[in-house]
Amino acid sequence: MTLLAARGLSKRFGGLVAVDDVSFDVYEGTIKALIGPNGAGKSTLFNLLTGFDRPDVGEVLFADTSIVGLQPHRVVRAGMARTFQNTQMFGEMTVTENVLVGMHTRLRTGFAAGALRLPPTRAVERDAIARANHLLRLVGADAFGDAPGADVPHGVRRLVEIARALASAPKLLLLDEPAAGLNNTETVALAASLRRIQADGTTILIVEHDMGLVMEISDEIIVLDRGRKIAEGSPRLIQKDAAVIEAYLGEVIVDA
Amino acid sequence: MRSRLAGTLVPAVGVILVLAMPFMTTDRYLFKVLTFVGLNLIVVAGLALLFGYAGQISLGHAAFFGIGAYTAGYLTGEAAVPWLVATLVAALLAALVGFVLSLPMLRLKGHYLAMATLGFSEIMTVLFIEARGITGGNDGLRGIPYPSLGSFKIDTPSGVYLLVWITAIVVLVLAANLVRTRPGRALRALHGAELGAQACGIDTGRLRVQVFALSAGLAGLAGALYASAVGFISPTTFSLEFSVLLVAMVVLGGTGSVTGPVVACVLLTLLPYVDALVPGLPREVVSFLQDWEADIAGIVMILVLLFAPGGVAGLLRRSPRVGEAE
Repeated sequence: MTLLAARGLSKRFGGLVAVDDVSFDVYEGTIKALIGPNGAGKSTLFNLLTGFDRPDVGEVLFADTSIVGLQPHRVVRAGMARTFQNTQMFGEMTVTENVLVGMHTRLRTGFAAGALRLPPTRAVERDAIARANHLLRLVGADAFGDAPGADVPHGVRRLVEIARALASAPKLLLLDEPAAGLNNTETVALAASLRRIQADGTTILIVEHDMGLVMEISDEIIVLDRGRKIAEGSPRLIQKDAAVIEAYLGEVIVDA
Repeated sequence: MRSRLAGTLVPAVGVILVLAMPFMTTDRYLFKVLTFVGLNLIVVAGLALLFGYAGQISLGHAAFFGIGAYTAGYLTGEAAVPWLVATLVAALLAALVGFVLSLPMLRLKGHYLAMATLGFSEIMTVLFIEARGITGGNDGLRGIPYPSLGSFKIDTPSGVYLLVWITAIVVLVLAANLVRTRPGRALRALHGAELGAQACGIDTGRLRVQVFALSAGLAGLAGALYASAVGFISPTTFSLEFSVLLVAMVVLGGTGSVTGPVVACVLLTLLPYVDALVPGLPREVVSFLQDWEADIAGIVMILVLLFAPGGVAGLLRRSPRVGEAE
């Protein structure tokens, strides 16, 4: 069953067409990877999907409901949570508190209840903290629970953001380059975490440059180049796709 | 554990001291000065949430204080409304004005927000002077009744002191609770990384409006208590200078803290009364402090921002770690 459907999404910034008529489906319970050379429009597409930017044309359907034009916090309430390529940690809050903020849509404590902090509110807080610790263990960042967000290494920040996004108990988790800044051991651990998250019933859409990770965990891959979708299919198909090879080799030559 | 113990012990000792004060002295002047400290604490609690936690500046809080004072003064003095009702209406009206004002300011941040609230403050100052029918113009309002509940009248300096301080303690406890739960975390998240806050499902616009209205309401509550405590109000009290002083208390106290601004508020409010509070002080020292008061405050502020940007709260936070290292 299709959980997320993008239909003809386009976004221009001045003369640049960042995303050009992109359509795809993400099926429930799968991991889909979004790859492509730098500047292919992956992050812009992420922003279009999550309400941080609005497409010029096109439609985004989440569980058959249009979410285009919804503000980011409404998208989260609908059941989609994301992380950022440039991490958006709350530097002055501890890692555990960061994850607790992620539970904002799950908890109900308002200003009055928070100010009174009666026993029921305290019980809710205790449960929330236990769940935050559980999520930090799940992503392998539990050693940093009490550290201020600002003091945590970059690689770990990405893991904390995953835990924070999971804290809203999303149906769909969108990860923007979660493996950037991780070493090999940490990347292997991340792959295992993502599999556990998938096994818990969360669908994942991931932007990632680490091809080893992408090929290992994805059920399907979609390839963007200069804003356009140039290929879509299983990892085995994508590895052999002529257009994909050209897009990546082309980039290598430009780099050299 | 040590800091946690200190976290409950120090406030508890403070509360006992505050409540015991009427049994230790009968000095009317002292009670009056301490009443001002308590009133400022109520405003500072709201500003600490707005500025120290949510990172939104306001140079208009003296105006909200004024709205509360004039509303309560007019209602109890001219319209003979019961004190408690008038006080609540005053606080709610200030919150309502804060709510309405914050809507068009949602897009503003930093200096722009400061300028907008400054403009509001100036408009209100003019209004306090020109709306003579309600505010009494430059002459202000006189003979505002003391606080009373039914036939029980709070008309002694120590009684008014206790009323204000109990209110302040309740407000501070509520604020300290708030920052430890969901809404308080959302405020800190808003300050830390707005995109991240939105990605966590926080309606940042709504939250901004809520915290602004709340802090305006607390300023209004303090203003209402001020009117009935002092019995006389005039426009000069609700000036920009007072707004800046309030913000200075939060800055010196440190962001992301309630305790720090409380300490800074007590110190800065007492500074002008140093001659009365410290009896043995030589006349030269007193006159020096009074002549250079604004300059001293300014220099202290610059030094704090340069060498202890965390303010009082930053110093308090650092000290237990130093102790542990020994």
